Amino acid sequence: MTPARDLGSRLAPYILSAASVAVVGLAAYALTRFVPLPHVSILFLAAVLTSAALSGFWPSVLAAVLSVAASSYFFYSPIFDFRVAEIQDIADVAVFLIVAALTSRLAANARAQALEARRRQETVAGLLAFSERLAESEGDAGLHAAIVEHLAAVLGAPVWLLLPEGGGLAPAAASGAPRAAPEALCAAAPRVMAGGEAALPGWRFERLATARHPVGVVAWREPASRPDAEYLRGLLGHAALAIDRARLRREIAEARIRGQGEALREALINSVSHDLQTPLAAILGSATALESLDERGERGVQRELVATIRDQAERLASDIENVLDLTRIRAGQIAPRLELVELSDIVNAALRRKQKALAARALEVALPRDLPMLRLDLFLMEHALANVLDNAAKHAGAGAALRIGARVHNGEVVLDVTDDGGGIRAEDLERIFEPFYRSAASAARPVPGTGLGLAICRAFVAANGGSVAALSEGPGRGATMRIRLPLAQDAAAEGASADD
Amino acid sequence: MTEAAARVLVIDDEPQIRKFLRLGLEGHGYAVLEAASAGDALRVAVAEQPELAILDLGLPDREGFEVLGALREWSRVPVLVLSVRNREGEKVRAFDLGADDYVVKPFGMPELLARIKAALRRRVAPAEPVFRVGGLEVDLGRRVVRVEGAEVRLSPKQYRLLQVLVSNAGKVVTHRQLLGEVWGAVHRDDIQYLRVFVRKLRGRIEADPARPRYLLTELGVGYRLRTSDQLAGLA
Repeated sequence: MTPARDLGSRLAPYILSAASVAVVGLAAYALTRFVPLPHVSILFLAAVLTSAALSGFWPSVLAAVLSVAASSYFFYSPIFDFRVAEIQDIADVAVFLIVAALTSRLAANARAQALEARRRQETVAGLLAFSERLAESEGDAGLHAAIVEHLAAVLGAPVWLLLPEGGGLAPAAASGAPRAAPEALCAAAPRVMAGGEAALPGWRFERLATARHPVGVVAWREPASRPDAEYLRGLLGHAALAIDRARLRREIAEARIRGQGEALREALINSVSHDLQTPLAAILGSATALESLDERGERGVQRELVATIRDQAERLASDIENVLDLTRIRAGQIAPRLELVELSDIVNAALRRKQKALAARALEVALPRDLPMLRLDLFLMEHALANVLDNAAKHAGAGAALRIGARVHNGEVVLDVTDDGGGIRAEDLERIFEPFYRSAASAARPVPGTGLGLAICRAFVAANGGSVAALSEGPGRGATMRIRLPLAQDAAAEGASADD
Repeated sequence: MTEAAARVLVIDDEPQIRKFLRLGLEGHGYAVLEAASAGDALRVAVAEQPELAILDLGLPDREGFEVLGALREWSRVPVLVLSVRNREGEKVRAFDLGADDYVVKPFGMPELLARIKAALRRRVAPAEPVFRVGGLEVDLGRRVVRVEGAEVRLSPKQYRLLQVLVSNAGKVVTHRQLLGEVWGAVHRDDIQYLRVFVRKLRGRIEADPARPRYLLTELGVGYRLRTSDQLAGLA
């Protein structure tokens, strides 16, 4: 801002105050032509109140002084003379000043609270938007580009991202400008990475670090705009988590290739605990925002924050459940307890559990009356099916209808969960059962969750002696999850169909 | 509203859970008594005679079951059990010991409030000679069952099963309880037999046995006959 404009914007409230006094004065003058008013000065309160509410204390003091001057000069005899010096004037000045002080104070408080609430809300919303953008990015390069571009937009200055490479730090991405960073930047960054300060005039450095270790450095050219410190810290924290998560996913892939079971397990668990931090961050952010509002805080803001906490907590609960399942599978702890059960009981229980996720969808359940009872583990199957429903609710797209059907075919019961939603590409049909796999389609339209649901489903169905596969004729043509379960081969099952 | 003035005893060793339950319940007009241990719980239950108890089974020393057992020796106060998913055995045991309902953690306040309301309503509702839910009508005096007005013939055992469910309408009745009541103590563990039997009973009283409206399965625990309130979605 130039000095001249700065001065202008500082004077504006005073000019406004003077103008409001003038307007009231004119109005009062016009009014007294027709109606004799004993206390014209009372009208000037309007000008003082307006100035106090809109512009603050000092402009309203100016309004008070001008008002008293104007009323004594124009209205009280002798008019067109300042010499009134009556008790009336002194009382007016006192009252006007008290009104000015009180009103401006109240208005300033209210303004500050509203601003604070909005700032908090914007911070939380901004962080959520940022983490969504990061989740949408494809590959390491996409992630790094998303980080620098978002930061550059917030800071209004070019941003470089430097990540560890071959023992040092090398530029991984830059906003707009060519990626090559000035030599001095690369030289100064390692000190920041180590937790120190970099003395490089015209540049600002920030370390990206998770709770456990530093992951890189961002640098930007000064002068840059100064976002709220907490917000900036939040953005940098999210960026650090995302980079670390990407690294862990890479390690998973590498471990899988090397076939090192132990390393894979380690990497999986590390990655999942990172996924859990996203909803947790949103919960903590919203809760502290809520705490900072007092009872007079806007109702709408409160509701929104509470809704965020609730949604994210539910997401966290289901993620944690997935993680627990995964640990059970990995630890070889699933010992199915097979017993003769009704498939419809399992379907209904899974539907009941996923009631909320499925609430907005058209749902058709068509299970034949004569479906034989099956030898299954109730809970593993219910869980597997709940994950299939959850997957359909998340990926089929809004408004897609869901159909659950079953039939006996070739010594098996075939249970189909079909949606008429976005479909699955041929190359993804098998891969969606891999832990953490996300198709390119879902990268474009990110969905929450750990990416474990279908992997867990497959493991649980297999434990019941069955199999699960995805079928789709391609994008836009719907999808079917087909679960095949063996028919029970024993006398009790036979007896189930006979009448007593 | 008499329900709203009810005193609820919260038995949980976790202070945060007690706090959240107290705030939530008091906000809806209930008076809350708290107990952090089995000893406390029984003392408060005797001294205050609460209208309902919420019992967390996850007490560190398995005191939850002891509380329930001791309570049931002298009191019929409705007990609502809090349990964790994947611990079905725990749930079954609680019902066998006389719990009235359970809520799986983590749960939301609206669900808990609905369960509390239902348990309190069942407590005050007098036993009717004719039980009705939706199109199902069970005339206990004349031993007649009608579905959509048409009389349905049941075998004596089927009727007995339905009768046990009706006398516990709205509540979960465990496999063991049903087997014990209908076939006698010897058959208590033959859950498979019970499932086959329920399938047949559903075939008689449900329009679509695969999507039952009246006789619901509580997976791995037992069965529940819905009351008309529950059918209307109140609980």
